[in-house]
Amino acid sequence: MTSTIARPETSVSELEDLSYELREKLLLLCGEYNGSVHIGGDLSCADVLTLLFHYGMRVDPQDLRNPERDRFVLSKGHAAVCMYITMAIRGFFDYRGIVDTYGQLDSAYGMHPCKVQLPGVEVSTGSLGHGLPLATGMALHARRNGMDHRVFTLMGDGETGEGSVWESALAANSNNLGNLVAFIDRNRQLMTSFAEERVKLEPYPDKWRAFGWNVIEVDGHDMGALVAAFDSLPAPDSDTPTVIICDTVKGKGVDFMEANLAWHAGSLNETDLQRALASLAHGRKAA
Amino acid sequence: MTSTDVTSFTFGELLSSRTVIGQTLKELGEANDNLWVLTPDIGATLVEFRDTFPDRFVDVGLSEQACVGIAAGLANEGNIPVVSGMLPFLSMRALEQVRSDICYPNLPVKIVGTHGGLVGNGGSTHYAVEDLGLMTSLVNMTVTSIGDPLMVGEVLRQSMNMTGPLYIRLAVGKKDKVVYEPGSVTIEIGKGITAREGSDLTLFAHGETVSQALEAADVLAAEHSINARVVDMFTLKPIDADLIQRCAEETGRFVVVEDHLAYGGLASQISDVIVDRGLRLEGFQRLGIPQVFAGFGEDTELRDKHGYGLQATVDAALAVTA
Repeated sequence: MTSTIARPETSVSELEDLSYELREKLLLLCGEYNGSVHIGGDLSCADVLTLLFHYGMRVDPQDLRNPERDRFVLSKGHAAVCMYITMAIRGFFDYRGIVDTYGQLDSAYGMHPCKVQLPGVEVSTGSLGHGLPLATGMALHARRNGMDHRVFTLMGDGETGEGSVWESALAANSNNLGNLVAFIDRNRQLMTSFAEERVKLEPYPDKWRAFGWNVIEVDGHDMGALVAAFDSLPAPDSDTPTVIICDTVKGKGVDFMEANLAWHAGSLNETDLQRALASLAHGRKAA
Repeated sequence: MTSTDVTSFTFGELLSSRTVIGQTLKELGEANDNLWVLTPDIGATLVEFRDTFPDRFVDVGLSEQACVGIAAGLANEGNIPVVSGMLPFLSMRALEQVRSDICYPNLPVKIVGTHGGLVGNGGSTHYAVEDLGLMTSLVNMTVTSIGDPLMVGEVLRQSMNMTGPLYIRLAVGKKDKVVYEPGSVTIEIGKGITAREGSDLTLFAHGETVSQALEAADVLAAEHSINARVVDMFTLKPIDADLIQRCAEETGRFVVVEDHLAYGGLASQISDVIVDRGLRLEGFQRLGIPQVFAGFGEDTELRDKHGYGLQATVDAALAVTA
C-alpha cells in the first residue's frame, strides 16, 4: 500500500530557514503573551519538529483525519506552542490566531495540547510519560490493520524518568512495532537541575538498546544530520521500534537562554525580546 | 435482560462473572472488528478472546500504566478497548492514565476488573476499597459495580454503543450469585434496579452486597414484619437521582450497604442527592468499611468484623425504622 499523502520535498537549507522562522515566531509570541512560556524546551526541539512536519511526516493540513497520515504524539506536552507554530507554518493553523489568543479564555491554544479543543492535534498530552504508551497503542492499531503509516512521538529526556515510558518501551518491543519512532530531545536539563547531576541517565543509548530498541544518535540541531537520520529509519513494516536520541541544547539559538536553568520557562519584556531576536539573527549569520 | 447462550446455569446457583466476561467478549469481538482486549497479566479468563482474536489481544505484562495508555492510543484510532485486570492496581497505579488519557478526551475505553471490596483474602494491597470514590470523581467516567454475573455480560453488551469511558467493578468474579432471573428486570446503565419492592425503608446496595441486602429483607419480613425495598444501584455514576427521590418519598428511611469505604462510595453519592434535592428522610445509615486497613479473612467474616455484614444490615434497618 502506497500512501496517497506525499511527503514534502524540502531541502536542508529550506528546513533551516523554516526552523529559523519557527524560533523567531516563538520569540515574538513570547514577547506578546503576558505569561510564562516553556521557551527553553521549545527551542531545544524546534529543529526536530521542523524535520517532522516539513520533511518526515506524511500529513495533510487539508485532510486532518486521512487514515493514511503519519501520527504525531507530543509527549513533552509543554512544548505545545512550538508544535502549534510549526503546524501553523505548515498550513494547519493561522499563526496570528495563535498569537492573538494563546492561553486566553476559550482559546484552543493552551499551554498543553488538547485534541478536543484543537482538531489537528492527535492526542491530548501534558502530563509527562504518557506519550509513548499512547503512541504504542496507535502503532498497534496500524500494525493490526495492515496500515503502513508511522507513529512518531517526541519526548524530553527528563520525561524518561517516568516508569510508564519504560513500561511501554517493553510493550513496543514485545509487540514488534517497527512503525513506532520516538524522538528524544536530549537537552540534558530538567526543570531545576542538569540531568546528570540529579538523575544519571547515562549510558542513555544503552538503556534503550537494552530494551530492544533500534537506537540512532544525532545532533538535534544539525538539519542535515536530522534528515539523514530520518532517511535511515527502518521500514514501517519492520519489527524493531526506533528511538532517535537528539543531542540538543535547551534554549538553542538565544545565547542568554542556552543551557541556562533560568529559562526553562519565562516571558520576554521588550528589551529581552530584542536581545533574543538579535542573538537568533547573529547565530544564523554565523552559521 | 438479554439471555445469552453462555448460560448453562440454574437460577440461584453460582456462576463465574469472569467466565461470562470471557464468553461475552468473544461474542462481542465477533460482532465488533474494532474491539480489543488488553490486560496486565490477568488474562486467565480471556483465553477464548485471545485464541480467537490474537491480533486484538494485548497482554503487556505487569505494566498497568502502559496498559491503560495503550488502550487510550487504540481508542484514539477508533477502537473499543476493554482493559481487564485487578481493580486495586488499575484504579490507583494507572489512575492518572485513566483520568488524563481516557477521561479527558472522553474515549470509549472499558475498565473491567475484580477485587472490588474486601474479597479474595489478599490483604489490603489487594482490596480495592476506595476505587468508587476515585472513579466517580473523574469527569466523563461512567461507574458501575455489579454482583450478578449475567448482568456483567449485559452491561458489556450495552457499553458497545457508549461514546465515553466505563468502569465495571466486580468482586472476585469466580462464583457469583445469579440475583435476577433472566428477563425479570430491565438492565439499563444509569438506572437503579428495584430488586425487591417494599414500603418501610429502602436498602441500597451494589455488587455482592445486593444479595446480602435481599437476605436481610427476608429476615426483616419474616422476623420483624418490616417490608424493606431493595435497590441495586449498580450504576454509581451517573446516579439515578429520580429513583432515590422516589424511594425517599415512598419509604422515608435509607440504609446503604456496600463493600467499599463507607465514605466516598454509594452512600456518599446518595447523600449528595439528598442534600442537593432537599429530600426529607426519617432515618439514614451507611454501612461500609471504616477507616482501617482491613486485614485477612473470608469476605463474609470481614464484613461482619467491620460492621456491614448481614446482621449489621438487619440491625441498621431496625434502627432506622424504630
